[in-house]
Amino acid sequence: MSHYEAPIRNPLILGNKSYHDVSNDIARPIESKANKMWWIVFTISLIAFLWGIGAIAYTIGTGIGVWGLNNKINWAWDITNFVWWVGIGHAGTLISAVLLLFRQKWRMGINRSAEAMTIFAVFQAGLFPLIHMGRIWNGYWVMPIPNQLGTLWTNFNSPLLWDVFAISTYLSVSLVFWWTGLLPDFAMIRDRATKPFQKKIYSLLSFGWSGRAKDWQRFEEVSLVLAGLATPLVLSVHTIVSFDFATSVIPGWHSTVYPPYFVAGAVFSGFAMVLTLLIIMRKVSNLEAYITRDHIENMSKVILVTCWIVATAYLSEFFVGWYSGSSYEDFVYLSIGAASGPYWWAFWALLICNGMIPQLLWFKKIRRSFIWTFIIALFINIGMWFERFDIIVINLSRGHLPATWTRFEPTFVDIGIFIGTIGFFFVLFLLYARTFPVVAQAEIKSILKSSGDNHKRNTEKLSNLVKEKREASKD
Amino acid sequence: MSNNKKYWTSVEELKGNSIVEKLSKQEFPKEIPTDAFLGDKETLASSSTSRRDFLKYVGFTTAAASLAACEGPVIKTIPYVVKPNDIIPGVADYYATSIADGFDFASVLVKVREGRPIKIGPNLEAKTNNQTNARVQASVLSLYDNNRLKKSSKDYATFDKEVKATFDKIKNSDKKIVFLTGTMASPSTDKLLTEFTTQYPNTEHVIYDAVSETAALDAFQEMYGSRVLPNYNFAKANVIVSIGADFLGDWQGGGFESGYAKNKAPKNGKMSKHIQFESNLTLTGANADQRFALKPSKQIFALINLYNKVTGQSLPSRATSQDKAIKNAATQIKSVGSKAVVVTGIQNKNAQLIVLALNNFLQSEALDVVNTKNVRQGDDTKVAQLIADMKAGKVGAIITHQTNPAYTLNDFTNAVKKVPLNIAFSISSTETTKLAKYVNATPHYLESWGDVNMQKGQYNLIQPTINKLFDTRQFQEALLSWTENTSTYYNYLKNSWTSILNGQSWNNVLHNGTFNINQIEAEEITTVNNIDLNAVAFALARNKSNKLELALYTKVGLGDGQQANNPWLQELPDPITRTSWDNYLLISRVDAEKLELKNWIVDNGAMNGSLVDVSVGGKTLKNVPVYIQPGQAVGSVGLAYGYGRIEGMQEEMQTGVNAYLFVNTTGNVNITKVEGEHKFACVQTHHTMMGRDELVNETSLSDFINKPKKEWNKEPKFSIDHQEVSIDQAALWETFDDSIGTKFNLAIDLATCTACASCVIACHAENNVPVVGKQEIRLSRDMHWLRIDRYYTSDMTNKKGKEEGIFGSGKFFNAQELPQDQPEVSFQPVMCMHCNNAPCESVCPVAATSHGRQGQNQMAYNRCVGTRYCANNCPYRVRRFNWFKYSENSAFNFNMNNDLGRMVLNPDVVVRSRGVMEKCSMCIQMTQETILQAKKEGRPVKTDEFSVACVDACSTGAMTFGDVNNPEDKITKIVKDKRTFKLLEFIGTKPNVVYQLKVRNS
Repeated sequence: MSHYEAPIRNPLILGNKSYHDVSNDIARPIESKANKMWWIVFTISLIAFLWGIGAIAYTIGTGIGVWGLNNKINWAWDITNFVWWVGIGHAGTLISAVLLLFRQKWRMGINRSAEAMTIFAVFQAGLFPLIHMGRIWNGYWVMPIPNQLGTLWTNFNSPLLWDVFAISTYLSVSLVFWWTGLLPDFAMIRDRATKPFQKKIYSLLSFGWSGRAKDWQRFEEVSLVLAGLATPLVLSVHTIVSFDFATSVIPGWHSTVYPPYFVAGAVFSGFAMVLTLLIIMRKVSNLEAYITRDHIENMSKVILVTCWIVATAYLSEFFVGWYSGSSYEDFVYLSIGAASGPYWWAFWALLICNGMIPQLLWFKKIRRSFIWTFIIALFINIGMWFERFDIIVINLSRGHLPATWTRFEPTFVDIGIFIGTIGFFFVLFLLYARTFPVVAQAEIKSILKSSGDNHKRNTEKLSNLVKEKREASKD
Repeated sequence: MSNNKKYWTSVEELKGNSIVEKLSKQEFPKEIPTDAFLGDKETLASSSTSRRDFLKYVGFTTAAASLAACEGPVIKTIPYVVKPNDIIPGVADYYATSIADGFDFASVLVKVREGRPIKIGPNLEAKTNNQTNARVQASVLSLYDNNRLKKSSKDYATFDKEVKATFDKIKNSDKKIVFLTGTMASPSTDKLLTEFTTQYPNTEHVIYDAVSETAALDAFQEMYGSRVLPNYNFAKANVIVSIGADFLGDWQGGGFESGYAKNKAPKNGKMSKHIQFESNLTLTGANADQRFALKPSKQIFALINLYNKVTGQSLPSRATSQDKAIKNAATQIKSVGSKAVVVTGIQNKNAQLIVLALNNFLQSEALDVVNTKNVRQGDDTKVAQLIADMKAGKVGAIITHQTNPAYTLNDFTNAVKKVPLNIAFSISSTETTKLAKYVNATPHYLESWGDVNMQKGQYNLIQPTINKLFDTRQFQEALLSWTENTSTYYNYLKNSWTSILNGQSWNNVLHNGTFNINQIEAEEITTVNNIDLNAVAFALARNKSNKLELALYTKVGLGDGQQANNPWLQELPDPITRTSWDNYLLISRVDAEKLELKNWIVDNGAMNGSLVDVSVGGKTLKNVPVYIQPGQAVGSVGLAYGYGRIEGMQEEMQTGVNAYLFVNTTGNVNITKVEGEHKFACVQTHHTMMGRDELVNETSLSDFINKPKKEWNKEPKFSIDHQEVSIDQAALWETFDDSIGTKFNLAIDLATCTACASCVIACHAENNVPVVGKQEIRLSRDMHWLRIDRYYTSDMTNKKGKEEGIFGSGKFFNAQELPQDQPEVSFQPVMCMHCNNAPCESVCPVAATSHGRQGQNQMAYNRCVGTRYCANNCPYRVRRFNWFKYSENSAFNFNMNNDLGRMVLNPDVVVRSRGVMEKCSMCIQMTQETILQAKKEGRPVKTDEFSVACVDACSTGAMTFGDVNNPEDKITKIVKDKRTFKLLEFIGTKPNVVYQLKVRNS
């Protein structure tokens, strides 16, 4: 895997790391005890998670009526959260699959956590289509399960059904991809493990990885094949999620720009979430050597690009709606009617968080600053949540018949479930950070010789030496 | 004869010695080792069951036993041991009867299933007075009201013995016995009362209507000699001018809408013109071609001015702000002469005299002084005298029936304390029964016998449709007992009808529910007394105006408040304010701004409003919510009767304030804003069409006559690649041939729909629609399958916006949302459109909503998983989700939460569970029944035989239902009519519900 890399490129691994150092660095969080901070954050997350479980139990026990929905706005926070979490889950595959195909070595520092985030986010996302059902106990009816009732079958025209397949495919492919990458790393932990229990667990998790050349060959092949499989999924999942809206007849939903716009938006929010997580993680887990300013900058660049795709979509939505001259388009989520209506604050929250604040990333100083990028990423997370909220709630609140116009207010249950999923997400992520190799150490090791700091310094030294010698010989 | 036949199932069996035989003997391949298990001690002792195994068995059996103990709920169904002759389970019986509760009078047809009345419909055998308004439709639920009086205060023998003893004492004193009743218009009851009077000569019968028409009755008496109400046939009027008469509401007993509607849709280029002058925005005003706001005191002058302008006389009057419109109305009246009619709701005898004189002057064909109405007989003078007598101690006994004076009559509570014997007849516990010494629980009209003479020449019978549910006794039965008459009321009624029937069959009349004496017109020639109109007008002109005047009114929901404990009526959104569960002070925007009163929308979309203390003439109502009503005359406020009852009411139904406090109270209205806010249950908080004029399409009569259809009823265009194509070519879906078999369409004529909301209740009753309560209504979770959207016009039109250069700006949109101060009103009943290309159908992941062969969009409740995607994708927003379990849930303590209330449920329609979507089914249970009936009788379905609940209830004929594949059906013509349009047709949904646009004759 080693390859030649121009010395003028910044090193991807800082510090004078040897292979053993890498192993030590990655295994440290697993092999050492959790500190106080971890316990505090974990406890908070766990409480939030339990609260969410309580809220879900209350919903299922009593009825969807405990949410703030009504007969005009039949979806609100539930599907907002669903799309938001699915969107967040997009960065993982993009980083691991697309960047793998494009041979972007910088992905190696971040892909493990990005994929973990993807899977945990998809868990959260998958929860909402389930619990938003009025009769969750019949939820399996959305699967095409053969039954004795003859023609009783699912409706393949329904985008909700497409969602079922899209999300489950995405989750399974992502999971397999993630686990494949994890195998050599689990094996490394297994080999280092001193406690028999740990050794047992990790040997199970590593599927008996032996590190033979054949293993590596298969590993590389499978990675490539899965990357090829996963790449279209990056496009398809959010395209299909966007069909939930785009195939409808509701003003503001019925829009052909939705699929590319949603995909870009998903990547946008996914990268923002990766930034949010990794900026903290590199500090907490002492991964400064592997997640560098360059990583942050690269991700900021992706964010900036997708930001502009999304912004272009916003502008075109706004323009086309206005240009249509249709009264029905006057009040959609991106319209003057929305800006002057009761949801003006949500309208501006979307534009400011997603359109304006990310523009700061044009400045190199800002996009190379950990603290600035962290703040901007947080805003994008908020902005992307508002995007989905606006699409769902503003559009539904301003339907075709003005007599049916109304508003939505979340109840404590709506809020509780959302916070619960955030809690659940962090519970999973924190457990992951303590038990999984959070950086793909096997892959990192493969570029240590080409992109490592010491290697770069050595080559520099070498070339300087050569230069000196040449100059000396000239003399 | 012996039978040698042998039956066999296979050749092997026939041949004998087969494998079958062998197998059948070996049904249990091994003998069950019962002995090994339950053997004797030795076997047990030697058995391998260890202590651990034993514990396992114990554990298992305990678990199994406890599981088995979790028994499902036991629902008892009791089969008929001996089937009653007249009941076939599953087949409905229909009985013709009448409602005559003192406020609503109608000849009705009652649907009875397995002995339970479940639905009220109009009795089509009756030619008149068969309109079922919302309250009549809902009255079936009042039968099953859990708060009804279940027994009288004493057993009837003791009751009567004690009462009669007192009567006898009074007979020999100088005091009198007074019957205070609402209008009963019952010949046999009158006869009974006369007999009572013979026995106790010092008896008086005082009729008291809570919402009184004394002025009209007195005026008619003065002019025509009899104390009855004139009848109006608006079908005969080309110009209708109403000054404060809500004749589409409860004015003079109501029931005028069917006549009115006959001329509201243009026929051969002609239709009636209706001009309304009023202070509150009523249903009548909302339906008028022209409406002018005028506060109550000014209406009097407007009336005299109109009289002067029409007749050319100059009665004393004063100018009003609407004199130009009055002049214009007079011109209109003069142009049609006898084809015009003027009506008024001013509660003043003199004003009513002027109207009668004016109609007499015009020789108005619409005014009918022959077939007069008896539905209001109350006499305020006598009531006032009675109160005075009671206070003076002159009354020895008061018997109240069909009235709740302690709630409606101000001084009654004080006065009745001076009366030694107070007997109240009532169906439920009321303010009046609380004061009474003896309370007689009366049956509901659906459990009673009776008769009613609603209008001259028309006699109706009341017959029970169910056995008495409780230990109740009719008023008439009590009278029979008090007059020592041993006959049952049924026999008494039948005997007393001998004179009415004049040889006709009783059974026939009972079957028809109604009986008409035809020869009256020849018999009766009414003489008109001369009235000194100058003096009348002079007296009228002395009326003082006040800065702020109060106009009391009745809402279509609660009316006079008798059925206030009826959740269907409480939840029925008022067609004008679209607010349920409340009454409120209607006030104009101008006055509200002066007093700093506000209505505002909170974050969950519900409406809140300011609270005020209202005082008139020294009486004060505290904490009255304020509703800012477009169209309200500046300087006037409105308040609805019927609310604010507490006694005998379920807590949830104790809504609003008691407006009866202000009856007959004149003077300036003082309003003081108080702290706090009121939470309204308003289902529509956006009032204008936002420039989407195609929603409720309407046009003017001149455009309708003179211009081609495409100018006033544009069809949407569909295009592919900039080529105009038909809707079918533009559609994504394959169409199937629906020209075979039945295909249902429903048409709603917006020109004749008055928005009376009777269809809403009919739908509620037919389809077991749950009541959800105020809080859920606030959250826009109303469950009505059929709603009536109401729009006001806005000052800010697209044209005006463009002229002002603000078109498309936020300022423009905000201005567009504001209704005009004097708006035109449009109504639009909306239910499921049963789209042929239904957006809901394509998005349901489990295909729970699918298209029926007959055109319906069907909802399979038990397949629904509740994703609510269908509701989101419905442009008409007609789908209703069961957010909670609305039946048998104490959080929704309405009729579906008690055994009695559930008796009203239609057994043909399932009660939906929590978490499923529901919506209008086009009453598929009714259409299927029609088809099955035809099938059973071996005939094709007859022309116009199909019907649905809302269409049945519609008394103006605005709704039509039928099979468009039958060229003879009425609907087939309507669908092709040039006034026909479809709601939001441009989306391409191809609805099976069509509208006919409203034509305004303005």
